[in-house]
Parts: sequence; C-alpha cells; structure tokens
Amino acid sequence: MFGEGLLKGLGVTIKHFFAPKITEQYPEVKPKLPPLVKSRFRLNREKCIACGICANACPNKVITVNSEKDENNKKRLTGYEMNLQYCLFCGLCVESCPTKAIEIDQDFELAAYTRENTKMDMYKEALTNPPGTAAKEDKGGKDA
Amino acid sequence: MAIAKQEGNFRTQEFILNMGPQHPSTHGVYRAILTLDGEYVVDLENVIGYLHRGIEKLAESRTYTQFIPYTDRMDYLAGMLNNWGYVMTVEKALGLEIPERAEYIRIIVGELQRIASHLVMVASMALDMNGYTAWMYAFYDREKILDLFEMICGSRLTTSFMRVGGVPNDIPEGFLPKLEEFLKEFPKRLDDFDNVITGNEIFIKRTKGIAPIDGETALDYGLTGPNLRASGVNFDLRKVRPYSIYDRFDFEVPVGTNGDNFDRYNMRMLEMRQSLRIIRQAVDNLPEGSIMAKVPKVLRIPAGETYGHIEGAKGILGFYLVSDGGTKPYRIHVHAPSFVNLGIYPYMAKGTMLQDAIASLASIDIVLGEVDR
Repeated sequence: MFGEGLLKGLGVTIKHFFAPKITEQYPEVKPKLPPLVKSRFRLNREKCIACGICANACPNKVITVNSEKDENNKKRLTGYEMNLQYCLFCGLCVESCPTKAIEIDQDFELAAYTRENTKMDMYKEALTNPPGTAAKEDKGGKDA
Repeated sequence: MAIAKQEGNFRTQEFILNMGPQHPSTHGVYRAILTLDGEYVVDLENVIGYLHRGIEKLAESRTYTQFIPYTDRMDYLAGMLNNWGYVMTVEKALGLEIPERAEYIRIIVGELQRIASHLVMVASMALDMNGYTAWMYAFYDREKILDLFEMICGSRLTTSFMRVGGVPNDIPEGFLPKLEEFLKEFPKRLDDFDNVITGNEIFIKRTKGIAPIDGETALDYGLTGPNLRASGVNFDLRKVRPYSIYDRFDFEVPVGTNGDNFDRYNMRMLEMRQSLRIIRQAVDNLPEGSIMAKVPKVLRIPAGETYGHIEGAKGILGFYLVSDGGTKPYRIHVHAPSFVNLGIYPYMAKGTMLQDAIASLASIDIVLGEVDR
C-alpha cells in the first residue's frame, strides 16, 4: 500500500519524540571530557630540561623554547611559548618529551578576542597554574 | 497577458546557474556551473579548488611523522582511515611489521570511522532531499562514535591517531563497555533509518532509477568504493587484496545492481551493518600485547617509491610516496577517492531535474577537503 512506509517513518519519529531529551546544556553544565583529550597543554617547569625536542617534533613550529646556560654549562629554561593559533593539537610534542614535562589538559575554553592573545606563555603560567592541580582549581573558581 | 497569447514568439532559452561555492547542498566549497533548460540540467561543469591548502606540498617540508596530523585534514569525515592509509604506506616503505594488538585496534577504529563517514552520507543525502529528521538521527549516532574516538585518541574529527609502527594509545578504561553499548544499540538505530528513509515512498520515488551508472561506465570514470559497487562491480580492496589483517574477518561485500542513487545510498546502509560485524569479531579476538613496533626515533626511508592503498570510506585511498633517502619525503601524492568520484558528476547530472542533480551529488559522497587537498 502506498503510504505504508511514510506511516512507519512517522511511527519512528513519534517514538523519538517521547524519548528522553539528549541535548547537552553546555555553558550551564560543563562536560567532563575523557583524560586523553588534548584541549590545551601545560608545562612542568621542574621537569623541563630545555632540550627543545618538542619544538622540533611540532609540525607547525608552534613551540618556542628559550634557555640559557648556567655556570655548570647546564641548560636552564627561561621561556616557553606556544603560539596556539597554529597548533594542530596533534599531541606530538607530548609524545616526544623525554621527561614528560609537557602534559595535556581538558580545559577547552581557549577562545581569545585577538590574535595576540592566542599566544600562550606557558613558562609564566606554569608558576601560577602547575599541571595537575590547575584544572580543578580553575573550575572551582569559575563555578563559584 | 497579451504577450503570453502571442504563440510562436516564445522559445525556451537555456540559462546558466551557479550552484555554490557557498551553498549548503554542495557539501563544502564546491561550485557547479549548471546550464539549465527549465528544470532540466543540460550541462554541468565542476569548479573545484576553493579548499586547496597545498597539503601535498606541505608534506615535503615535514618529517614522515609530522605529516600524520595533516592527513586527517583531507577527508575530515574519515580522519582515522586517512591516518591509516598514510602510516601503512610508510610502514610498507620501511618494511615494518606492526604488533597484532595494534592491527586490531586499527581495524576497530577504522571500521567505526567508516560507519561515521557513511552516516554523514546517509544523513546529508536525506537532508538534500528535504528529510531533516534523518539528518538529526544519523548525526546523533555519529556523535556516539566521535565520543568513542575522544576517549581513545583525544580528538573527535582530526584524530591523528595512528603512528608509524602502531598506535600511540592503548584502549583506555571504559572504552570497550561503551563500544559494546554502541554495538548493541546501533543495529536498532539502523532499523530506524530503514523505516524513516529506505522505506519511505517519496525517497524511493525520487532516487530509484535516477542517474544510473552501469558498471562499464563506472570503471571508465575510475569510480571506487561504494559508488563502484553500487554499479554491480564487486571490488573491495579489503577482499580483493586484503591489507592489514582483513583476511581474518568474515564479512560480505554488498553489491548493487542498477547503480542509481538509491543503490548508492543502500550500499552505505548495508556496509554499515558489515562494518559492525567486523568490529564485533575484532573486539572478540582482541589480543594482548604491545601496541608499537620498534621504530627508530628519526625515520629515514630508503630512496625509491612506494604506493600503498586502503579501502577508504569513499573509495580507494592511495598514497604515493617518493623518497630520496632523507628524513622528509621528496614527494607525496594522494589518490583521493572523492576527487575521482566527482569526475562522474556531470555525466550523472545531465538530463536530470535540478533537484535530482543535487541528490546525485549527495549520493556520490564527496568531501571537498579531500577533492582540493
């Protein structure tokens, strides 16, 4: 009978109409992202040996590592910047790091108003927000 | 009124219509110059290149590993499969054997990606024929797959998941239960799609017998993938020349008969069920072990050329790699299925109504990121 298929289709839509709603209430309810999500990167200043392997592993030259040599001729980190506007979020820097100084984080709200603001000075930030603790503190602050 | 009565003074005139480059039904920034005779398409010309980023050229200034994130920006609806095709080619050039577990993980994510890509095709084809409901349903299920990807590789679209020699992350905790849930729910959802789209009389009337391609023509135009199989040519790389470990899996290759829009749509619906079967078997036989082969930190491929190809979601995805022995490729060329498949679109569109031509474009399932690269 012509129209049988249409009615069947309508049956499905009615079934879905009464099904529970699945819309995510994003700004009000923040999603909890899985731990592997690469939303941003954080630097651990103590672990970093300023070898620059991450900068070489990056496909897009996003990372700039600045260092100076101290009296023992040992490299010391003096600056670490990520130019996030060119970042592909592939995570090759995290994988290549020999001391696991650079870590991934799930704080995904990175929108900036200007191009300049997309640059992230991770050296400075590592002081105020060391990896691990930072994410939780941040979220607590925003909710309050 | 007076003019309309003057019979004989009127003659129909062909006119030119630009479709795109910013048109929702063109699936990206693609432009078609249509010559129309009333509602009928007389001629059609493809205009591409709006999304050209020079990815093949970019590859020449990146190392072999650094090019991986770029591959999933070609066919951005099937990032996993692009990664796979590329790393497989590099592994072939290096003569690498990759661990069993990595192969199984690749099969699982690869087939999930195939389902996700086919879901977009089914959804957008329904949408182009004004079926908004099906679009929403299909994207809901695609979202479930993307959530799974998020768990295993940390990204949803641009996965960059595979590495030369294996995969970077092992299956995380909680992934397999969620996958089981998906495998249980998805067949029911497919039945829903069948009820909403496949069985819908309006859909059938508007797709059956429209823009048929016979097997001979399909081969002449170089079609691959589901589009070729819809025309009755049984050619699936997974069966014909099994790569990875596809020879261990039991699945069928659906083949169409008429090669019309309905068959092309139906190929995707049937293939999704087959992909589910493959995932089921892969999950059941998942071995323990390492996920990365021993690979040197700096990859150097011996001078020479390699060609590797896989059955992508849209057709045969090939990577042609020329090396001069250095750490960076001398040249990479990508055989992009969408680019080849788009070539037949003028042939399909000629003589059909404008609305059907749009459905035909949806039925060959192109992604402009891959066409232009």
